Amino acid sequence: MKRNLYQPINGGIVDIIEESSTIKSFVVELEEAFNFETGQFVELTLPGVGEAPFTPSSSPYDTKKMEITIMKAGKMTGLLHECEKGQKIGIRGPYGNGYPIDEFIGKDVYIISEGIGLASIRSLFLTLVDRISEFKSVVCRFSAKTPEDFIYKNNLFDSWQKIEGVDIQLTIEEANGTWDGNIGVVTTILSPDDVDISNAVAVVCGPPIMMKFGTLKLLEFGFSPEQIYLSMEKNMCCGVGKCGHCMMGKYYVCKDGPVFTYEQVKGHPEIWD
Amino acid sequence: MKTVLISELKPFLDALAEEMELYVPKKSGEHYVYNRYDPSANVQVEFNNIRTCTPAKEFLFPLREIVAVYPESSDPINIKPFAVFGLKQCDLRSIEILDIVFKEAEYEDSFYVSRREKMFIISSDCTQPADSCFCNVLGGKPFAQNRYDLNVSQVKDQFIIEAGSQKGKDFIEKHSELFTKTTDIILAKRDKVRIETQKQLEEINSALEFDSPVNEIVGNSQDSVVYDEEAKTCVECQGCTRVCPTCHCFYLYDTKQEDYFTKIKMWDSCMRIAYAEVAGGANPRKALGDRLRHRFMHKFSYFLERYGVDMCVGCGRCVDGEAGEVDIRKVLKKLNEELKGKDKAKAEAAK
Ligand code: FES
Repeated sequence: MKRNLYQPINGGIVDIIEESSTIKSFVVELEEAFNFETGQFVELTLPGVGEAPFTPSSSPYDTKKMEITIMKAGKMTGLLHECEKGQKIGIRGPYGNGYPIDEFIGKDVYIISEGIGLASIRSLFLTLVDRISEFKSVVCRFSAKTPEDFIYKNNLFDSWQKIEGVDIQLTIEEANGTWDGNIGVVTTILSPDDVDISNAVAVVCGPPIMMKFGTLKLLEFGFSPEQIYLSMEKNMCCGVGKCGHCMMGKYYVCKDGPVFTYEQVKGHPEIWD
Repeated sequence: MKTVLISELKPFLDALAEEMELYVPKKSGEHYVYNRYDPSANVQVEFNNIRTCTPAKEFLFPLREIVAVYPESSDPINIKPFAVFGLKQCDLRSIEILDIVFKEAEYEDSFYVSRREKMFIISSDCTQPADSCFCNVLGGKPFAQNRYDLNVSQVKDQFIIEAGSQKGKDFIEKHSELFTKTTDIILAKRDKVRIETQKQLEEINSALEFDSPVNEIVGNSQDSVVYDEEAKTCVECQGCTRVCPTCHCFYLYDTKQEDYFTKIKMWDSCMRIAYAEVAGGANPRKALGDRLRHRFMHKFSYFLERYGVDMCVGCGRCVDGEAGEVDIRKVLKKLNEELKGKDKAKAEAAK
């Protein structure tokens, strides 16, 4: 028998990691095997409260546990932030498409992200790192408001920087006493020399305004719209192309996305809103 | 397919009601709505000469239903066979559209599918289209073409019943004692009534002519000013999407019961302001005009591009059913004029 589309898989929160004052990572374990591709999203149910879409931040190769990094932004995420270890949850999905990793093989992968955008980027990053020899390089340009606002600090400031084939640069938006790196929005640390544009793909994920200016910068550098991948955040509800909530022009973001090339979406008026 | 004749509806409906729950149209004010048929009540069921006011989707995709119980899941829903009498061609086309959405192989909605499988469809011919009916403009007909189990046509004081499926044929054969044979004369009379009704529809909509296919008119309206203008007459009652037989937006919400939780699927409306809003507060369609545009584009352009059919059956329910003054026909007409103007300007510029 076919599975009921709307039935969540039961699970529970087994660990909670405080990433910043407004962001926490929840480690969840499910009662059934669960596989996803990096870039796909899930619907997380808080029993009796509601559901919301999130992109897992852990590697898809880790099939035992899944991590979901959540920023306090509304009612549901606020309640999630109050949850403790042992809280029961439900998961539906995975939904949508993932990043076409195989198309990245042999290329420079240029990743641009800001703030909570790093949550889903972490999953992509871990996936790439797992098979790092297949890519020419993984070049990351990340920003946050202040150093404290960076999520995954331990990895970001240290262990990830040491991985061979990986080049990470960070910037913060507000001057801060201890920070000796760049200050300015993420586009201020992008350079056309970061990657070999003729053999690169770019991934942009973060708040809409940053995605817009990041994309424009990449185009200015000479990236073609097909080379730029965007992960769109829309109001995903059913996840299966029926309820209509996630529609962006003709696309059901839940099914046709959430990952799109800029080429696919550039004509649509609603992409940056 | 097989046709038979009957002079009264009651024995036919009684036979149906013996086998399954039967819903029949009943006049309520100037409109028809559906009611459960009660054979013992001895009331004459009227032959509805026009669509009901409520959309057929109610039978397949109820306003509100529990779609999941957790953490302990409950048994799949058990739907008993049911029959609906008096659906019109516009209703059947709307079911075709809902089938595309909810029966999609990869993501089948088992709630919809269970109901759909148990639904016995008895359509009937329209004989008195309303002023708001415009199905003919969108390729519709005032009588059923397909997707029915049985179809009923009234010819004077007699009813022709035609089977449209094996299930329908079996029913006729099983109850053959109720029926007499049709003759070529009566079938010819039916055709005449059908042609007359079609003519009535054409008269009603004689002013509703377009210079380009509707999907092109709407597909090219991305930058149209018409939507913002029209939005001024919309009172955001969401009535249009409720009564629309093809609108199928819904949202999911959760409730807490004594010792379990439920997930509920409920109709939603793309005209609602927070419909597309994300958790952080971003909202791609904050302006009412943008929501109206999206509704039109979805109906006439996006859905067609994806699935090969458009999402408006021309039933006119939205014209009757809303509290504001947005009239889908007038909006299409305005968009048509706008496009014509643009095309003309382009042609002149090219000269
Ligand atoms: S989330 Fe329901 S259609 Fe995409």
